[in-house]
Amino acid sequence: MGSSLSPGRDLDNRRFFSATGVLGLLWVGVFVLSLSRGAVSVDLFHPDELGRRILLEVRLPRVLLASFSGGALALSGLYFQYVMQNPLADSFTTGASASAALGAVLALLAAGEKALLPASVAGALLGLLAVLRIASLRGRLLPVTMLLAGIVVNTFASAAISLLKFLADESVASVVFWLMGGFQNADYFRAGLLALTGGLALAYGMARAPALDLTAFDEETALSSGVPLYRLRRELLFLGALLTAASVAFSGIIGFVGLIVPHLLRLAGFLRASALVPLTFLFGASFMMTADLLARTLLPQGQELPVGVLTSALGGLFFLYLLARRKRDLYEMD
Amino acid sequence: MRTLILGLVLFCTGVSVAFGLRIVVLYPAASPVLRALGVPDGEVVGVTRHDRTYPRAVRVGSHLRPNLELIRALRPDLLVVGSRRAFPEEAARRFKARIFRYDPRTLEEILARIEALGEVLGRRREAEDLVASLRKKLAEVKPLPRPVTVVYEVSATPLKVAGSRSIVNDIIRVAGGRNLVAVPRKHVLISPERILALAPEVYIYQVGPMNRNPLPPKRRPYFRALKSRVLRVRELEFARPGLNAFSATIKLNRFFLTLQK
Repeated sequence: MGSSLSPGRDLDNRRFFSATGVLGLLWVGVFVLSLSRGAVSVDLFHPDELGRRILLEVRLPRVLLASFSGGALALSGLYFQYVMQNPLADSFTTGASASAALGAVLALLAAGEKALLPASVAGALLGLLAVLRIASLRGRLLPVTMLLAGIVVNTFASAAISLLKFLADESVASVVFWLMGGFQNADYFRAGLLALTGGLALAYGMARAPALDLTAFDEETALSSGVPLYRLRRELLFLGALLTAASVAFSGIIGFVGLIVPHLLRLAGFLRASALVPLTFLFGASFMMTADLLARTLLPQGQELPVGVLTSALGGLFFLYLLARRKRDLYEMD
Repeated sequence: MRTLILGLVLFCTGVSVAFGLRIVVLYPAASPVLRALGVPDGEVVGVTRHDRTYPRAVRVGSHLRPNLELIRALRPDLLVVGSRRAFPEEAARRFKARIFRYDPRTLEEILARIEALGEVLGRRREAEDLVASLRKKLAEVKPLPRPVTVVYEVSATPLKVAGSRSIVNDIIRVAGGRNLVAVPRKHVLISPERILALAPEVYIYQVGPMNRNPLPPKRRPYFRALKSRVLRVRELEFARPGLNAFSATIKLNRFFLTLQK
């Protein structure tokens, strides 16, 4: 009955379920591959004592942390894009990553690793507060001003981190690690906390999917349709910052995931929030597990590469491709 | 005001060394060598920020970011610098002063650089004496029935260990051990699972500027399966290629001996 009334929606649903199936299979495939490959060969089905301990105490928490970090960062990027009404927004361009990293670096140099999470959250929220204050006009949030404010906050936080790097002298490696990202310090607690934060943010996005779709129109349309637009933007900003802060606290700044993943899904034709939100999380998780797998297997003898270097390289190439292919669209040329 | 104070300091330092060399040491591990060779306070006119061997010398920044303007103002005759990475050739070319590179990676190279430094400073006999005393010290190293397998942690976040191009690698070797990380680099960013698989008998972790307040390895989630004996050492004693490296070798050798008893 429903299908005869809304064939477009049925088609959308079919596409969504197919995509979920494909991305779900991709996640499972990358998850199994990530568990089976690494610095040490471990037989997944008949591991010896050492192999079992490596799997359970090192590799599994690491793969889970990478997965939830990827999901969280991709979702935060998507939420920032809804708030700013700009597909170029993500945790990088809004300053959330850099301000969370500033908190983390300060904590690392002054108080040690235990203060990392609260300091990152505090850093991200302070950055967010600055963005909100700059971009608010009589209770309204101005998306373009917000994006510019985000860039300013990002620049300021990056400059402060550079100063700390300079002052840190020989401790600079720890600071640099936070700027390039990695999942070496994974454990089940961290993975669990990110899963919980990601799960809550995902549930929120699913529940607010119709409102999110309406924010894609102009403000008047969204407001006249009963969407509490300004509150929604604040909530999305808060969730985006929280997701970013948790991820940065545990694995450092990992750029471009929040930009690439929603972009690719939109290019594939997923525009409705009810599809875009869960697919972004799922795809982000697979993307990050893949990046981490490459980071810890490309070099011989257990050497690692910083994950952020790989995601930024992939992100840079992707944007180069987009610019080359779509420059006419971008500049509205005939 | 600052310029005036700096000028005064430079003037005073200049007067005191009117008849000696004016030396700026940009590699902290070299300062104790100069001291041991008998170079007096007044001759070393500049040192890096945390170098305490010559307290009257002007601080000229860190060894990675020295202040070239300040160094030039000190009018040095000799610059004792570290690797080309820390003090590139372009920077060296800016000075008329003689450049002495002090960047040894083994104990033997330390001894060779001490002799070379003695030549440059006109203190050949002092250098020979110092080398002889250090060789005598090394003779205290007792042979072990078999090499002890070791991994040396440089930093916990990120997890970096000493590779084969590190002075620590040679300290371990001479002390009777074997660094299991044979990657030809100074520091190696490594996977914790690789360390577990290598199963070193001894896991050494340094504490110092590069590894501030690290959690003891066995309290870290990824090292619960680590069965190695854990040894905590001071970074300044082990990771700097100076006179300290010889006492570090003796200490490590004694530790290895207690393990194999």
